[in-house]
Amino acid sequence: MSRLSYFARETLISLRRNLLMTIAGIITVLISLVLFGGILLLSSAVDHGTEKWKHGVELEIFMKTNASRSDVDAMKSQLDADKALVKSYRYLDHNAAYAEFKRLFHDQPALIESTTPDVLPESFRVAPVTARLTQQVEIDYNKRPGVDKIVTAQQQIKNLLNATRWIRLIFFVISLALLLSSLFLIVNTIRLATFARRREIEVMRLVGASNWFVRVPFMAEGLVQGAIGAGLAFGFIWVLKVVISNVLNSQQTLFSTFRVTDSDAIGIGILIVIIGAVIGTLGSAIGLRRFLEG
Amino acid sequence: MIRFEDVNKVYKGDLVALKDVSVEIAKGEFVFLVGPSGSGKSTFLKLLLRDEVATAGRVLVAGRDIGRLGAWKVPSLRRNIGCVFQDFKLLTNKTVYENVAFALEVIGRPKHIVRTQVPQILDLVGLGKKTENFPTELSGGEQQRVSIARAFVNRPLILLADEPTGNLDPATTVGIMRLLDRINRTGTTVVMATHDQRIVDAMRRRVLELDHGSLVRDQARGVYGVGS
Repeated sequence: MSRLSYFARETLISLRRNLLMTIAGIITVLISLVLFGGILLLSSAVDHGTEKWKHGVELEIFMKTNASRSDVDAMKSQLDADKALVKSYRYLDHNAAYAEFKRLFHDQPALIESTTPDVLPESFRVAPVTARLTQQVEIDYNKRPGVDKIVTAQQQIKNLLNATRWIRLIFFVISLALLLSSLFLIVNTIRLATFARRREIEVMRLVGASNWFVRVPFMAEGLVQGAIGAGLAFGFIWVLKVVISNVLNSQQTLFSTFRVTDSDAIGIGILIVIIGAVIGTLGSAIGLRRFLEG
Repeated sequence: MIRFEDVNKVYKGDLVALKDVSVEIAKGEFVFLVGPSGSGKSTFLKLLLRDEVATAGRVLVAGRDIGRLGAWKVPSLRRNIGCVFQDFKLLTNKTVYENVAFALEVIGRPKHIVRTQVPQILDLVGLGKKTENFPTELSGGEQQRVSIARAFVNRPLILLADEPTGNLDPATTVGIMRLLDRINRTGTTVVMATHDQRIVDAMRRRVLELDHGSLVRDQARGVYGVGS
């Protein structure tokens, strides 16, 4: 107990002594992690909205929910045979559709509860040989028996994917640079802290304090900075999540499938808190290395 | 207790600090280490503290070759060696009591030990009435007493003193030497590096003289300079 209170006291004293540096460290951790978390949040929203449209899949053929077995089988063999138009396809039966439905709406248990596999239509996700043939596939297959409707990847979604790819990359690089600078700031804070307490450290080593005993208060100091910055970032991410959700909900037409879920935000929050703690501890370790070696 | 076997210490830039030094110091001895500045006295003490490692030869403390001690075992060596310096190395933001208690706290001694040991040792060095003063409020001699209390509060086997009276006037010096003598009588081995001819001559203890890193004299009841 007395050790814990000793460490807590020493850490607090040191944090207060370097108040400005401490605040600078916390703010850079905060900004870089908010950026980083924001990108992840945006990415997860885009992923939710574009999950179907990957690996060259350009259109999805929905069968009527009451389509007969033979209609479905006929569709399969037609797609298999149609080498001129169809590169590949994937068949989703009622259960597969239900599994995906559950995954997409896992944070809305009431909706899942009220839905059964048989109300979800069977479908084929089709990747044409080239994207330009999409129109042709749609025309050819629209009239086949048992087909309810055909949905194609909207051009807007693809534009959005391309645009967000660049935005994501740029923000990712910026947040990495900021993370690095917050690491250096913490390293510097810890160096200043060890310098301010060099006489105490000298005495501690002289009377035989163990190395970890000397180090712990400084490690804790870095950890506290990283953790506070990350905790604040978590709060900002949550606010961001609420804002994004509201914007997306008010634009039902295009973005109806773009959603950020609570569990996305929590997962991202936990990730950035871990990153913050790692940055803080790593910064301390580097800051301590030179001063305490030997 | 302490044994140097053909110890050599060469610093960077071929600066030879100790040359083929072999000496044995028994438990409970009081030894003066004399010689001009740069003769290797401080290096001798630093090797004992494992602040430096011998370039060649072995330094043994209580039978253990401390040059081969792993870094994580150095603290336990230092808990058995108290240390006193010319500049006291007291923490100015802590009181007399806190300075001494600090030495026990940072090696993880429980509170009740700290509470009983610290007043005891401060009484021993004659500062029982100044426990709440800060170092800057004390005279040089008193500050050195605090530093000795801090070095001795953990009852080390060995006490090293590097010019402990270098900053003190002759009258104060006598008091400090009495204190060191008293500590020596409890069975603690004391090794003291000094320039002070008067105290060496007055105490008549074993004298080791270093010159340019070589041990040139080892005299059982010696004086500071040969023939003086």
